[in-house]
Amino acid sequence: MPKPDLVKTGIAGLDNILHGGIPRGNVILVEGGIGVGKTTLGVEFVYRGASHFNEPGIIVLFEVSPHKLMRDAANLGWDLEGLEREGRLKIVFTTREVLRQELQQADSVLLEEAAKIGARRIFVDGVGRLVNGHGSGNGNGNGMPETRSSFHVLTEGLQRENLTAILAVEASATDGHMQGISMYEESIADTVMRLRVEEMQRAASRSIEIVKSRGQDFQMGRHTFRIIDGEGIRVYRRVQAPRVDRDRSADFDPDTRIPTGIPGLDELLNGGYYVGSTTVIAGISGVGKSVMALQYIMNGARHGERSLMFSLDEPVGQIERNARSLGMDLKGALDSGLVRVEYEPPQEIEVDVHFAHIEKLVEEFEPRRVVFDSLSTYGSTLGTKGRMFRDFFHALTALMKEHQIAAVYNHENPEMLGMASMMGEFAMSSLVDNIILMNWIEISDSFRLGLTVAKMRANPVDRVTRECEIASPVGLRVLPRVLPVPEKKAFSTYAGLLSRAPTRWVRKKDEGPVADSSG
Amino acid sequence: MTSDNPPNNKQVHEDIEQLLARTPAIEDACSLDLLVFLYRHPRTLLTNEQLATFLGYEMKVVAKSIDTVIDLGLLERTQNPTHAARMYRLMLGSPTTGGLEALLELACSRHGRRDILEVLMSRRSSRPLDVIQSKRKLRVIA
Repeated sequence: MPKPDLVKTGIAGLDNILHGGIPRGNVILVEGGIGVGKTTLGVEFVYRGASHFNEPGIIVLFEVSPHKLMRDAANLGWDLEGLEREGRLKIVFTTREVLRQELQQADSVLLEEAAKIGARRIFVDGVGRLVNGHGSGNGNGNGMPETRSSFHVLTEGLQRENLTAILAVEASATDGHMQGISMYEESIADTVMRLRVEEMQRAASRSIEIVKSRGQDFQMGRHTFRIIDGEGIRVYRRVQAPRVDRDRSADFDPDTRIPTGIPGLDELLNGGYYVGSTTVIAGISGVGKSVMALQYIMNGARHGERSLMFSLDEPVGQIERNARSLGMDLKGALDSGLVRVEYEPPQEIEVDVHFAHIEKLVEEFEPRRVVFDSLSTYGSTLGTKGRMFRDFFHALTALMKEHQIAAVYNHENPEMLGMASMMGEFAMSSLVDNIILMNWIEISDSFRLGLTVAKMRANPVDRVTRECEIASPVGLRVLPRVLPVPEKKAFSTYAGLLSRAPTRWVRKKDEGPVADSSG
Repeated sequence: MTSDNPPNNKQVHEDIEQLLARTPAIEDACSLDLLVFLYRHPRTLLTNEQLATFLGYEMKVVAKSIDTVIDLGLLERTQNPTHAARMYRLMLGSPTTGGLEALLELACSRHGRRDILEVLMSRRSSRPLDVIQSKRKLRVIA
C-alpha cells in the first residue's frame, strides 16, 4: 500500500497524535471559542511549513492586522517578517466578501499570490461568518444555503490549488458540542479539530480533539495543549491513549530484585521489589513513608543506580533538609547525578502535561527506581471519582513497567489508628503488586510504629506486623520480632494490632494464649 | 495628575518637518492615514469602496492619495478589470524609504499622528498658493 503524503504540522506533539501529519491537500476546520488558540495554531502551521519544511504559505486575515500578528508571533519566537522578506510567506488582509468573490473566480488574485511563492499551505483566520452568513447563524449552526455554498466554493478553490488549508472558525463549546458550526461544513472539511478551554474548578486548561481526519488514523479524545512563550503550541497526548511501540515484553526481566536498603525490610520482601513492579506504601501522615522513599533512592545511589523522586508535597530544599536531619547526604547524591528530585505543586497540575514531563524524564534519565510522593495528593488533585485519576495511574504503572522500573508510590491513608482498607477510595489495588501498610499502634502511653507487608505478588509473605523505628543516621529500620530489651515489649507479644485495641498475650505452658490486661 | 498629551515641543515638529521633506507621499491627512493603514496591512486585498470605508475618507480623496503613492513607487496595485478587489502592496525596506518608515512608526501612536497632522497643516498654511497650483498643474500634465 502506498504511504500517504502527510504534511507535518511541525507543532510539537500534534504530529504524534496525527500519526505523522495530515494528508496533503486536506481542508482542516479548526473550531473553538475566542482566545482558545485557533489563530496561533493556524499561524504556527504556516510558519513551521515555511521555516522547517520548505513549504511556503499564505495567511489570510480579516480582523487582525498583520502588524499585530507579526508582533504576537515574535513573542513566540517566530520571525514572520523575515519569512516575508525571503518570499516564503505572504500575509494578506482582506474581507470575507472579497474572499468569497475571489475564490469563485478562476483567476483569483489571492491564489495567484499563493502560486507566486509556490505556497503549499494556507491559513484563513475567522471564516466563521463566512460559514454562518454575516453573523446571522441561527444558533443551531444549520446555516443558509447561500453560506453553505460559499463554504463549498472556498474549499473547492483551495483544493484546486492543492493547498493544505487550515480554516479557523469561531464557535463556542456547550455541553461538549460546538455551537455555531453546522454539520454541513464539518462534513465538507476533510479534517475537523476542536479546541476547547477545559474548566477545572477555578483553573482552566486548553484541549484539542481531532474529530475526524480523512485518509488517516489518529488518536481520539481530548489532548491538553499549551501556548508557550518563545516556542509556540505544545500538545500533550492524553495519558490513557495507547502508546505506539509500548510492547517491550522481550525485555521483560522476571527475576531481578531491587533492594530497598531499609534494614530489616528486604528480608521481608525476599530481597526487594521486582523490577517493573508497583509498590504502594500506605499510612497516615508522619508515619515514615517519605523517609522510606529517601532510603530507597539513596540505596540506589549507593549501588550506582539512577533514582528519581517526584514530590507533590514537599519542595526539593525541604526534602534535602529532611534527609540531612536523618544523616543522609541527598545533596551529594543529587550533585553526583545519580538522583533527581522533581517537585511540582499539585494545585494546578494539568494531567497530560504532568505525565508528559514524567515520561520525558524517565526516557532521558533512565532511572531504575522511581518514587511518587504521594498518590493521595494526585487523588486530591485529579479527583478519585472520575476516570482521570484512574487513567493517569494506569498510564503511570504501564510506563514504569515498560521501562522496567521498580516504582514506589506513597499513599496517605487518613486513618490514624488501624486501617479499614488498604487504598481507601482509590480502589486501584488490582494494579499494585506490593502493598506495605504503615501504622501507628497505641500501646500504653505511646504510639509505636508498625509495618505489615500486606501484599506481594508472586511472593510468599507472612503478613506479620513488625515494629519499626526511625532514627538518625539509619532512617527507618524494621525491628526483630522478639526484642531483647525487656522493658520494651515486642509486637509479637500482642494480639489485634490493627484492630485499634491491641491486647497482650500471656502464653502458659500447654495452653492457648490468654489476654493480659497489664499492657 | 499627569497629562495624556506629551509636550508638543518645537524639536519634535522640526524632526517631523525634516522627515516630511524626505517623504513627498505624505501631503495631507488622507495620504498619511492611507500609508499608516498599508503599513499595518502591507498586503491588502480590498475593493476601492472597502478601502475608503476602512480609512474613513471619500473614495475620490482616497483614489487621489493612492495615485500619488503609486506614482512615487511606494505602492503596487493589481489591475484586473474582472475583479472588484485590488491587491495593494506597500513597498518599503529600501534605503530611500527610511524616512517614511520612521514617520509611519510615529503615526501609529495617537500623539505622533496628531503632531504630523499639525506640521502638515502648518506647511499648507505657509505654502504660497502659486506653488500649490503649479504642483497640481504639473501632475495633470504628467
